[in-house]
Amino acid sequence: MIPVESESSTKNGMKVVYVAKENIFQYLKERKEEGFDTLLMISGVDYRDHLEVMYHLLSSSSGSRLIVKTKTNDEVDSVTSLWKGADWHERETWDLVGIKFKNHPNLKRILLAEGWNGHPLRKDYPMDKKQYVNLGDDGEDIVSYEKTEGY
Amino acid sequence: MEDRVIEINFGPQHPSTHGVLRIKVKLDGEIIVDAQPVIGYLHRNAEKLAEMGSYPKGMIYIDRLDYVAALNMELGYVLAVENLMDVQVPERAQWIRMLMVELNREASHLIWLGTHGLDMGMLTPFFYCFRERERILRIFDEITGSRLLYNYFAIGGVYSDITPKAIEMIKAWTDDFGSKLEEIQSILGKSYIYVSRTKGVGVLTAEDILSYGVTGPMQRASGIKRDVRKNSPYLYYDRINFDVPSRTEGDVYARFLVRIEEMRQSIRIVKQVLDKLPQGDFYNKKYSKPMLVRLKTTGESYVPTESPKGEFGIHLIGDGSSIPYRVRIRSPSFANLSSIPTMLKGYKIADLTAAVSSIDPVFGEVDR
Repeated sequence: MIPVESESSTKNGMKVVYVAKENIFQYLKERKEEGFDTLLMISGVDYRDHLEVMYHLLSSSSGSRLIVKTKTNDEVDSVTSLWKGADWHERETWDLVGIKFKNHPNLKRILLAEGWNGHPLRKDYPMDKKQYVNLGDDGEDIVSYEKTEGY
Repeated sequence: MEDRVIEINFGPQHPSTHGVLRIKVKLDGEIIVDAQPVIGYLHRNAEKLAEMGSYPKGMIYIDRLDYVAALNMELGYVLAVENLMDVQVPERAQWIRMLMVELNREASHLIWLGTHGLDMGMLTPFFYCFRERERILRIFDEITGSRLLYNYFAIGGVYSDITPKAIEMIKAWTDDFGSKLEEIQSILGKSYIYVSRTKGVGVLTAEDILSYGVTGPMQRASGIKRDVRKNSPYLYYDRINFDVPSRTEGDVYARFLVRIEEMRQSIRIVKQVLDKLPQGDFYNKKYSKPMLVRLKTTGESYVPTESPKGEFGIHLIGDGSSIPYRVRIRSPSFANLSSIPTMLKGYKIADLTAAVSSIDPVFGEVDR
């Protein structure tokens, strides 16, 4: 059994547990074997002094829910080997919040263009600096701060 | 072997991608060996936008997620905010919400049905579906004043009461929509071409469904009978009778049947809501408009709801100021769409449009 650091709950009584980031993969694997077979989403929160990753789990047979959180500074283990759906959610979390996932097979940006500067959901992201995307000669996107012919 | 495989681009601008979806398809002759969806063409970062204004301001961005079922999106947001702030909502407002959400589910499924028929090469169901949807939009126009993006649900209730004229319109609609639906179903379901193009196509097993986190009608078409309205009821879904349709085949045809049956159940729900609609306030007077922008809270909340595409919910985190600290959107289409590589592998290129449109993706919600 992987120890839980602390426990709390959301306003509507959903259980929230904090797990150390070294144990997150093992903890989620244990929960999956216990019956939490659906991973609804993975998301990241920027708390300025640290980042947090949230995993929303659901048991399709009993209907019980669990939110697992872990604190990190840059990276956590990927859970793509447990759930195929984690692939896109982890790519999105990397794209928008800037949390790296170790052992992810294809950790690229998913919503923004490859080469985008910064991660928009970080609290220190400069909102006044516009970035423009252009199509390069090789068919790949080019991101720059200068407005050229792009969109 | 390797040089026989060619790579083609499906989309981003293609009539049957339902928006701006690009799929990189690798073909060996006619057989799809690999299909990788590319998304992000409609990305606006609604999460960041909603984190920049007060709680009621976030609503206008949430509206624009799944723009064909805007009220279902609004419901997810208001329920999360109300839960976070312990806002009491009058009973009449809750029943009105349920009525509107079910009508919007019908409108969304009708759009899906029409465009799905279009993808299968049939123009007729498209007109039939849009005729029926038009009647629902006129009801919405009468109640909310707009036809597509309503901004109708407010924190603590709804913005306007239902008029007697609207109730007459809804009653007239529920009376004959059932037979119209029968008609539309028979155009597709009795067509040999349609059935042979959809049966056994785009199969997802129950195992795939769980692994990808697929929810909604797609999940129920693969034998997992789970509906948030039944399993963890919100509003007053526990006080009315309805069935959760499900199939076990997991193919495009099963998804078609499940959605049609869901529309029948929605009519049942609408009829029951009209019978039970109590008199009273339609919003909580404590939360009038000037009050709303000053709402402050701490803590977190996630309220799951059943949108037409699957489980929709918003994880809200407040930090004590009047601006939400984190608005995380759980969008069902995003997870459903990620199952495309498994769903298409081994099928022919002609099955691609059938399989993709059976997901019912709406790109406002996928790309957010």
